[in-house]
Amino acid sequence: MFKKIIYSLLFSSVALFALESGESISKEVQEQLKLKADKVYVIDFFASWCKSCKKELPLVLNLYTDKIVEVIGVNVDKKKEDGEKLVKDLNLSFPIVYDTDKKLVETFDPLGFPAIYYVKDGKVLHVIFGAVKNIDEVIKEDIKSIK
Amino acid sequence: MRSFLMILVSGSFFMGCSLVQEVKPWEKETLAKPIMQFGGLHSEVTKFESHVYFSKEASRGGSGVAGGGCGCN
Repeated sequence: MFKKIIYSLLFSSVALFALESGESISKEVQEQLKLKADKVYVIDFFASWCKSCKKELPLVLNLYTDKIVEVIGVNVDKKKEDGEKLVKDLNLSFPIVYDTDKKLVETFDPLGFPAIYYVKDGKVLHVIFGAVKNIDEVIKEDIKSIK
Repeated sequence: MRSFLMILVSGSFFMGCSLVQEVKPWEKETLAKPIMQFGGLHSEVTKFESHVYFSKEASRGGSGVAGGGCGCN
């Protein structure tokens, strides 16, 4: 009886864990992000109020335009217009998903922002949280090791 | 009976702590605003602090906050 009470108290407050390397993402999310098989994708979560995101996005864009990696941006601004303005200002040409209802970001549940996920065949291969210097070089190296 | 009550009381206390909702990294839009910095935008506190710092250290600068409270490293 006591054990049951203690266990129920302990596990009632356990939070959900963030999506980590090696974990799979659901078919529904894959369809929403329009992911194709056998391709490595960089999924970049960003917001217009995140200064580090603004620094990193042009570098990520260069990787996309140089066809080094497929990139999908996920904007998490409350207002879609804020995200659209940032996309326009930075001339982001890679596909953007506007996650105004926060369903995608809550599924991935990143521990920091900006958040970058490497995904292949519905599986998370690697994760980068927070501001990283020379993110383009870091991604290049990561892609090399993944391929 | 006494220990049962103790467990129940301490358990409900910790359950109460779990009610405080964590602000997730993607929810820090308001926290990222310049007005949310300690001392506010143009407050006297900031001015006074920087004046004291300049007087004591004979140097200024380096007091700005990089990033926007977005949970970055």
